[in-house]
Amino acid sequence: MAQVAEMKYVWRIVDLIVGGIFVYAGVLKVLDPVQFANDIDNYKTLPWFVSVRLGFYLPWLEIFCGLALVSRLLYRGGLSILTVLIAVFIGATIAARARGLDITCGCFGHASQHWSFPQHMAVDLSILIALVALLLANRDRSVEL
Amino acid sequence: MKRAVRQALLLLALAVLPAIAEGIYFRNKVSWQSPIPASELVSVDQANRWGGSAIWVDARPDDEFAQDHVPGAFSLNEDHWSELLPQFLPNWSPTKKVVVYCSAESCNAARDVAKRLRDEAQIKDVFVLQGGWEEWLKSRK
Repeated sequence: MAQVAEMKYVWRIVDLIVGGIFVYAGVLKVLDPVQFANDIDNYKTLPWFVSVRLGFYLPWLEIFCGLALVSRLLYRGGLSILTVLIAVFIGATIAARARGLDITCGCFGHASQHWSFPQHMAVDLSILIALVALLLANRDRSVEL
Repeated sequence: MKRAVRQALLLLALAVLPAIAEGIYFRNKVSWQSPIPASELVSVDQANRWGGSAIWVDARPDDEFAQDHVPGAFSLNEDHWSELLPQFLPNWSPTKKVVVYCSAESCNAARDVAKRLRDEAQIKDVFVLQGGWEEWLKSRK
C-alpha cells in the first residue's frame, strides 16, 4: 500500500517535469513564431502556408497540454496529444535525416539550435518514454474531469 | 478512451484562440504565402544589373564554395558564422546591397543567413537570390 502511494508521488513528479518541459518549449516558440515556422519549413515536408500556421498554433497547443499535465485538468487529453506530437516529431526528424537534410530542431529556441542528431533523438526519445510511461501508469487511475 | 478523445478535442480547440490572436498581432510581420517576402527576393538579372553596388554572399557549406562560386562572392555560412562574419563585414558598406544565395530554390541557408545579417549585423539591404546558385549557373549558359 505504501509502495503504491510512493509511486503516485513519483508519477506526479514526472507529470510536473514533462508538463513543465512542454510549457517552457511552447513559451520559447510563442515568442518567435516565425522562427518556429522556418524550423518546420526546414523539414521540407509541408508547404509554407501550412508551416507558418502551425508555427503559430503548435506552441499554444504544447503550452495547453503541458499545463494539463501540471494541473491534471484535461489530463488524459493533454497526455494523448503530447504523445502523438512527439512521436510525429521523432518520425519527421528521422525522415529528414534519411533525406540528408541538416535540420534545426527549434524545440527549445536558440538553446537547441546546435544540437546534433543523436542529442535530438536522446531528448525526444526520453520524453516519449516518459509520456508512454505516464499513459500506462494512469490507465487505471481515476483522474479529474 | 472517449474521455481522452473529448479532452483532446477540447485542448485542440482551445489552442486555436491564442494562435489566432497572435497571428493577428504578427499579421504584418510575417509572410503568409512564401517563406521569403517578395520584397526580400531578387532575380539573377536584377542582381546582375546592380553591378558593383551588389556584394555577393555564398551561404553554402565551405566545400561547395571551394568548388565554385559567384566571382567575388564571400563565403558566409552558419557552420562557421563567427569566423566568417568578421571577414565579410569590412567589405560591406551601407551603400551596397547584399545578395545571399544557397544551392537552389529549395534550400533555406540563404534565407537564414540573410535573416542573421539583418538581425545581428544590422544590415538593411539584404536580398535572397531567387533560384540560388543553380539559377545563377543557368544565367551563365
